[in-house]
Amino acid sequence: MTHTLHRRGDRENLSGDFVVFTMSAKGFNEKGSGAKMKKFLEIVLKYDPVTFGDGITGNSKVKSREEIYNNIEDVSVVHAVFTDPAVVANVLKDLKKAEVGTSIIVSGLHEETEKCCRAAGLKKHTIEHSMGYFGQVKRLPDHEFMELTSMCGHAMVPANLVEKVLREIKRGKKSCREAALELTKPCHCGVYNPARAEKLLKRLVPLMVLDE
Amino acid sequence: MKIDPSKCIGCGKCKSYCAMWGGIMRFERDPKRPQRVICAINEDECVECGVCLSSGCCPTDALYQPELEWPRILRKNFSDPKKVHPETRIPGRGTEEMKTNEVTGRFPRGKFGMAFELGRPGVGTRFRDVEKVAMAVAGLGLSFEENNPVTKLMIDRKTGRINPEVLDEKVLSAIVEFLIPEEMLPRVLDALDRVAQQVDTVFVGDIISRVARDGSVPYIDVIRGRNRFLSINGKSNVGLGRPLANV
Repeated sequence: MTHTLHRRGDRENLSGDFVVFTMSAKGFNEKGSGAKMKKFLEIVLKYDPVTFGDGITGNSKVKSREEIYNNIEDVSVVHAVFTDPAVVANVLKDLKKAEVGTSIIVSGLHEETEKCCRAAGLKKHTIEHSMGYFGQVKRLPDHEFMELTSMCGHAMVPANLVEKVLREIKRGKKSCREAALELTKPCHCGVYNPARAEKLLKRLVPLMVLDE
Repeated sequence: MKIDPSKCIGCGKCKSYCAMWGGIMRFERDPKRPQRVICAINEDECVECGVCLSSGCCPTDALYQPELEWPRILRKNFSDPKKVHPETRIPGRGTEEMKTNEVTGRFPRGKFGMAFELGRPGVGTRFRDVEKVAMAVAGLGLSFEENNPVTKLMIDRKTGRINPEVLDEKVLSAIVEFLIPEEMLPRVLDALDRVAQQVDTVFVGDIISRVARDGSVPYIDVIRGRNRFLSINGKSNVGLGRPLANV
């Protein structure tokens, strides 16, 4: 999966957008990894993530904490979203100390995640970058929409839904916060960042003109 | 996905939850009662991702997903992240890639992992286009990641040819994943540019490297030196998985 790789934005609005997650390696340490990933969730929840979830069960805006935790299994991929690099550093410190045993991945601005790792006494092992979009790029939604939709790496947050919530905000039917929550819900894994979405919507709404 | 015309009231709410940009629902007249306007799904364009159904947006529960058979079931396998991929046992797009590299050793020093993810976001892709990208990669003599659901659809991994039964199937996204020796990166980038002109979809490019002993990432200078886009954000495996592979 590349589900947290292609989060679009500029340095300013990507700052403070972190995903910390874990999964097992199939055929290597998969057996019994469910219990380890439960330990991971216990640790990250101490730091009050803005969203969390599991690819098996769903995200914390749709499912309860207990449901997500109790249904973690060996094929789970468990995620938590944070906005504060100091918190991410502490999360990584605790994960290192706990020796959970499953792979831990952190997504965010590379210079920020590098600082978080150093503060936690960790060295990055493997790194991934996005090389951007190719092909029929004219078929893509506008960049501002993609800043909002690309936070769900499985493309479950439709650009059509962004259009809908923008209309509702313009008409006074929803606040930016409520709209951000609505955008968060379809992202099954729980990697969508409602705090960042709210900021992006606040910036975008004055620029949008309703064409009716 | 289908809409039960007897239940549909033609409100169009489902269109906002369609993962395809612009939506693949259309308004039409109920053929049995032409004074009624209902919604219908363009089945050929539907990728069976289930976002509309999962949203609960339909006020009359008119949306339903029938039992899917081969090859249409492929659409759901690739498009619905709630589905654990049957071959790889991973939910979502079904590939671990760099996330577990400290354990699997998939990407050793001296090599880069690369992936082209077709169809995302919101455009979708047919396997016909996935095959074009796979053949462009195979043409360079590169090998595909074994534990990847697209690789498992290939009938000939030396050429990148995909099972012809599925070429017309449309999915939300599909990833072609492969490994390259570091020195081949410029040739791969050239091939990427050529195949980008031939596909009727979009794709994103990913590149992965084991961090060098001095902390550097070997592909950064190569890509930026060619004035190509490389993201300022991305993913980092922090090396805590066990047991450690010798890479």
